[in-house]
Amino acid sequence: MAVLWIFSETTASTKELLGLGRELISAVGGSITVLMGPDGEGREEWAAYGADEIILLPPLADGLAMEAHIPVIAAAAAEEKPDIILLPATARGREMAPRLAQRLDTGLCSNCVAVRWSGGDIEMDRVVYGGAAIQTVKFLTRPVMATVAPKTFSPPVPEEGRSARLRELPPLAAGTVPGVRIVEKREKRRLARDLTQAKVVVAAGRGLEKKEDLALVEEVASLVGGEVGCTRPLSEELHWLPTELCIGLSGVSVKPDLYIGVGVSGQVQHMTGVRGAKVIAAVNRDENAPIFAQADLGIVGDLYEALPKLITALKK
Amino acid sequence: MPHIVVCFKWVIDETYLRRAPGGGLDFSSVDYKLSDYDRNAIEEAVRIRTALGGTVTGITVGPPEAAKGVKDALSRGMDAGVFIADPAFVDLDPSQTVSLIAQAVRNHVGPFDLIICGEGSGDLYAQQVGPRLAEALGIDCVAFATQISLEGGTLTAQRRLEGVIEVVTAPLPALVTVLPEINTPRIPGVKDTLMAGKKPVRTLAKGDLGATGGPRLQTLAVRAAAMERACEKFGVEEAEVIRFVDALKKRGVLA
Ligand SMILES: Cc1cc2nc3c(=O)[nH]c(=O)nc-3n(C[C@H](O)[C@H](O)[C@H](O)COP(=O)(O)OP(=O)(O)OC[C@H]3O[C@@H](n4cnc5c(N)ncnc54)[C@H](O)[C@@H]3O)c2cc1C
Ligand SMILES: Nc1ncnc2c1ncn2[C@@H]1O[C@H](COP(=O)(O)O)[C@@H](O)[C@H]1O
Repeated sequence: MAVLWIFSETTASTKELLGLGRELISAVGGSITVLMGPDGEGREEWAAYGADEIILLPPLADGLAMEAHIPVIAAAAAEEKPDIILLPATARGREMAPRLAQRLDTGLCSNCVAVRWSGGDIEMDRVVYGGAAIQTVKFLTRPVMATVAPKTFSPPVPEEGRSARLRELPPLAAGTVPGVRIVEKREKRRLARDLTQAKVVVAAGRGLEKKEDLALVEEVASLVGGEVGCTRPLSEELHWLPTELCIGLSGVSVKPDLYIGVGVSGQVQHMTGVRGAKVIAAVNRDENAPIFAQADLGIVGDLYEALPKLITALKK
Repeated sequence: MPHIVVCFKWVIDETYLRRAPGGGLDFSSVDYKLSDYDRNAIEEAVRIRTALGGTVTGITVGPPEAAKGVKDALSRGMDAGVFIADPAFVDLDPSQTVSLIAQAVRNHVGPFDLIICGEGSGDLYAQQVGPRLAEALGIDCVAFATQISLEGGTLTAQRRLEGVIEVVTAPLPALVTVLPEINTPRIPGVKDTLMAGKKPVRTLAKGDLGATGGPRLQTLAVRAAAMERACEKFGVEEAEVIRFVDALKKRGVLA
């Protein structure tokens, strides 16, 4: 029997964690609790997705961010001793999980990509050395804690007719209020496209000379019915494309039928995100670029020469 | 004038890792480097000091060989180093690293205004040491900052989350972890390297600090990630590009 807690940030991540949670709990029996903000938004759905209990966290004063829930969650976990706590590997989850783990003096597997039971213990896999290796860990302390990479686990099939208990946690009697205050919030435009579902992904790398040249990559992508992705320098240093399109260790993992890297050197932190592709292709002018050793098919040549020819050939 | 503490790690350069027969990792030709994103952390500390005055103290935990990393980090503009060194300080888990750094900060560094950590280390990329350290020291934490400034005892930071950018303030002392886009790290010159050798480094041995507690995680296996691919190369001439497209079609990945 195991008690598993999930911290809910977004609907999508909560469903994925419930998918993983149900898989784990069905093997040993036990229950799943979802902890969420006081508005309880979306909670009607959670019972069908596998939650046995929902805990609403106390309201936060104006200007406080979600991390302000940490002391309340830590105090409740210290008292109720859940066996497992899962958080999404979102920016928020990646900050909150280690802080909670520190308060609970326990181990945390960051950005977990696989989980299994092994002789009564939980084992987890995670990526190390930039993606060059997979590390398998087990936990020497309780609770077992992990942040889970988005899109790694599927949401469970909802089961109608299940219900979940609801309870609220009171604010801490002698709680200290954190000093961090939000003074401004800017919503970013959300992308409608989802790279992780694309059949073809054409990734742009720093081999492109200027932002306008992305048009070439976009044209190739549209001719093959694919989506454009990129390396981290393009989204994060040059800001040519939104962060959601960054593929790799700190971005998303894709699993298309075809991945084409254009002006991408093929460093391990990027390539770890395309390992799931059926076919990997590359266009790079440096014949010694590491991507050629990790690709099925590669054009050695200048992208400004190769892409127009590729576009012509694809149009035929 | 602020006293800024920056945490950095000397790590295996993953580009030299090879797959060993049997699926493990071959470490025989590895080299080491200053963890990529800790260069941004150091640069940010030095940038603030250049603007406001004050001092920058760098801290690292590692085996004696990481002395090279201390020198590398000092050549990037820090004023002084604290080197927590022991042959046993390899493959620590984040909670143990935090225990050592927290003790060193409390007992050997003196009052500070800001601690800066990288977003994640080059080898583990656990993204834990920064946030855990803030809790261990009981100070406020802002993770994944893309811009920071200090004024009158207050930190202002911009941080990027999924779908939203938040600007937050926090009273000092505080801890931030920084994303690589926050700045472009300098490349030290010969003069910087020479000067680094003259800067003060305080070395703390195991006996200077208390216990760290045992590891919280146990590594059962580390295996090389597989990447078996056909590696077929094509030229850039028209006929070659057509052959490339045909090859994609033959594999059934192009409609
Ligand atoms: C902890 C950590 C996490 C990271 N996470 C990620 C991640 O999630 N995703 C990611 O992408 N990176 C990540 N990185 C960064 C990664 O290590 C590389 O720096 C990055 O992937 C390189 O991007 P690039 O291939 O676009 O650029 P470069 O490495 O600069 O390569 C550009 C390539 O373009 C080629 N080229 C140049 N001009 C032309 C031309 N005219 N025609 C054809 N080819 C040309 C060059 O030969 C070169 O191979 C991470 C790094 C660290 C340390
Ligand atoms: N051994 C160490 N010594 C000093 N700082 C470290 C060490 N390990 C990690 N850090 C700091 O914590 C950050 C995150 O590391 P990690 O939790 O391993 O991803 C790094 O970017 C460093 O700033």
